[in-house]
Amino acid sequence: YTTISLEPKASSDPVMKKTKTLVASISTLYRRTYPSTSPCNPLATIASIRSQTQLPRESLQHYSSAEALARRLRCSGRVFSSDSGAGKRVSGCWNCGEKAAFLFCESCRSIQPVDDSVDYFQIFGLEKKYEIEPGSLEGKYKDWQKKLHPDLVHNKSQKERDYAAEQSAKVTEACRTLTKRLSRAMYIMKLSGINVNEEETITDPTLLMEIMELREAISEADGSEALNQIQSQVQEKLKQWSDSFVEAFESQRFDEAVKCIQRMTYYERACEEIVKKL
Amino acid sequence: MMLRQAAKKALGTTSRQSTPWPVGISRFYHENVIDHYDNPRNVGSFDKNDPSVGTGLVGAPACGDVMKLQIKVDEKTGQIVDARFKTFGCGSAIASSSVATEWVKGKAMEDVLTIKNTEIAKHLSLPPVKLHCSMLAEDAIKAAVKDYKEKRVKTNGTAAAAGETTQA
Repeated sequence: YTTISLEPKASSDPVMKKTKTLVASISTLYRRTYPSTSPCNPLATIASIRSQTQLPRESLQHYSSAEALARRLRCSGRVFSSDSGAGKRVSGCWNCGEKAAFLFCESCRSIQPVDDSVDYFQIFGLEKKYEIEPGSLEGKYKDWQKKLHPDLVHNKSQKERDYAAEQSAKVTEACRTLTKRLSRAMYIMKLSGINVNEEETITDPTLLMEIMELREAISEADGSEALNQIQSQVQEKLKQWSDSFVEAFESQRFDEAVKCIQRMTYYERACEEIVKKL
Repeated sequence: MMLRQAAKKALGTTSRQSTPWPVGISRFYHENVIDHYDNPRNVGSFDKNDPSVGTGLVGAPACGDVMKLQIKVDEKTGQIVDARFKTFGCGSAIASSSVATEWVKGKAMEDVLTIKNTEIAKHLSLPPVKLHCSMLAEDAIKAAVKDYKEKRVKTNGTAAAAGETTQA
């Protein structure tokens, strides 16, 4: 391929910038639906899509058709595994050309633009699995923000300040997603190509009855003692179903994994209600 | 009133523009929704084991909502004479189920099966992100009717069996 540079003029034009964000999302979608044919250089994908779409409206249509395709493929029950670290940029630092520039170039100290193929686990140097060490996020998070935070790049170019804003936001989002069990579970399912948040109605009487009774107990509970007791019970359930999720996910029993996540969502909501009452 | 119209306009044109949702406009609840939230009608429960009661219990796992809708049916005419609901969820979900209980009262069972979520959503002016709440209400109605019919089949079945045994 020839790498087509998009940056300098594009970032000054807000419309072009939106298109760039959109096509970056499209390229992520394409890569996920066609993992075998995806080019390793996301810029080339962006360039090839961009050359076909001139107006923002057209790129919206492309986005929705890619999305529809991805959804159809997901519904057919196929599971895609994401790249295992092969998604790192091959083109190197934009400033000095240094090869190993992951989010931030160590040799010339310049912040790199966001690479959508980098997932949250990679940012924290963690294996792509559900269980993580409790303290493994915070230290790395602070380290990254010391290098990427927008407040530290006031005297750098507009381009690099934009990169800082995007990278810093991504790192924050990554930390937030991976910290909470439920969001981590949903994210790891998403990486495997399974979308958990379908707007479907469930009618499982046992589960719904249990949740109904739980919510009723919470709304009728008088005083913090009763609420704390319920809360510890719910936390226990969360732990139990979190463990079930790991088991189901690792055995590739994805339907069961989805059910575990659904239960966890209900318990988390109940916890939120308890906290509100306390 | 004008603000709400402006919000509706923003809702209508956002999908065509590439600019994001304006930060200044917050989400508005239609006055119907607020009314149902402040003055909920038909909150409560019937006895589940009452043969004239059908119970629909549905949930939306994506947002952690549960909705219970119960109907009391006149066995002779097949008309729904009363309804109750209990919903744990957002204001839109509560309002949707409240509207559902109001609309099913006095109607025949077959009629309420034609109530569509789009009608509920339109009545409450629900934004697109809350459409699934009205869907949940539609599903709750259908579940309640289904439950009642299944109960009738069971009681009729046992009554017929009892009749046969006494004859024999």
